[in-house]
Amino acid sequence: MSHTKVLLVDDEVEFASALAERLQMRDYDVQTASNGLEAMALFHGSPPDIVILDLRIPGMDGLKILKNIKILDPTIEVLILTGHGDVESVAEGMKSGAYEYIMKPIDIGELTSKIDMAMKKRISNRD
Amino acid sequence: MTDNFEQELRFLQLRFIGKILAGFTHESKNYLAIIKESAGLIDDMIKLGKSGEEASGQFLEIIHSIEEQIEKSTGLFKFLNRFSHRMDTQLSAFNCNEALEELMALVNRFANQKRIELAKDFQQDLPQIYGNPSMIQFLVFSFLEEIIKTLDKNSRIIIKTGTANGSVMIKIIPEGNLLEVEIEKEEFPYETYNTVLERLNGKITPEAGAKTFTFPLKVSDI
Repeated sequence: MSHTKVLLVDDEVEFASALAERLQMRDYDVQTASNGLEAMALFHGSPPDIVILDLRIPGMDGLKILKNIKILDPTIEVLILTGHGDVESVAEGMKSGAYEYIMKPIDIGELTSKIDMAMKKRISNRD
Repeated sequence: MTDNFEQELRFLQLRFIGKILAGFTHESKNYLAIIKESAGLIDDMIKLGKSGEEASGQFLEIIHSIEEQIEKSTGLFKFLNRFSHRMDTQLSAFNCNEALEELMALVNRFANQKRIELAKDFQQDLPQIYGNPSMIQFLVFSFLEEIIKTLDKNSRIIIKTGTANGSVMIKIIPEGNLLEVEIEKEEFPYETYNTVLERLNGKITPEAGAKTFTFPLKVSDI
């Protein structure tokens, strides 16, 4: 699957930048945001297919972003990115409509596979 | 002192250590995640056959980023190691600035989550004190944690040290809007903390409408 539009939201700029480049090399169209406001601005400017979201970003609660996205377009799938064993917030994220979660440090193969599955779900939801 | 007090203190100290470790592992995982993605990026570039001056420049940039992350993690490891060894003996002669500096490095993440800046204003020639540095770190952490909860985003907390009347003074000064947050006694047992500080020959002095806290600690003859 190619040219899936991905919005990657993580306050670790170097992490997001390296991961974005790796995804771009695999034909994903990636934009990055380091905080909630930036994420929502990019979201409105060019709506993504998939959002990869770190729930613990400064400035705006990650769960709030997730809920906003789901209200604006429920077919957009969200993958939660988590750097720790924060079971509660992951569970809360899944309850709020996230498609899946992925632990840091990530496995690129696992991530692309989850993005592709999420994209399939988005297409089937839209049809 | 009652068994209840000792039990509560033990619980609070374990909670403190747990939180420090959770923050440390979270930060470490972040550094490792950046290192892993950077290494993965080099791998991808090599597999795609990227070469030439531009690619070499990018390789160097990525390598420097990896080195920077390793340096940051090493710094954090050093602070955690020093923090852990403070518990080797119950009492020792120590410099409050050093104990506070390592605590701040380990607590920074909690403040960053709310975009609160932790700033230090340390007196450079601070005399050593004889006491229990872990207890001081525990107390300062407990107050910091509570202030972080009640302080609005984009604020600042200054941790200041100085001397007055034969004591080393630690001041925690919040700068920014304080939110109306109800503080549960179980979450923040002020009396327990006060008793702990009294054991260390200190006293908590709330100032400025209980927004600033001062911990005076006697300088002993070492």
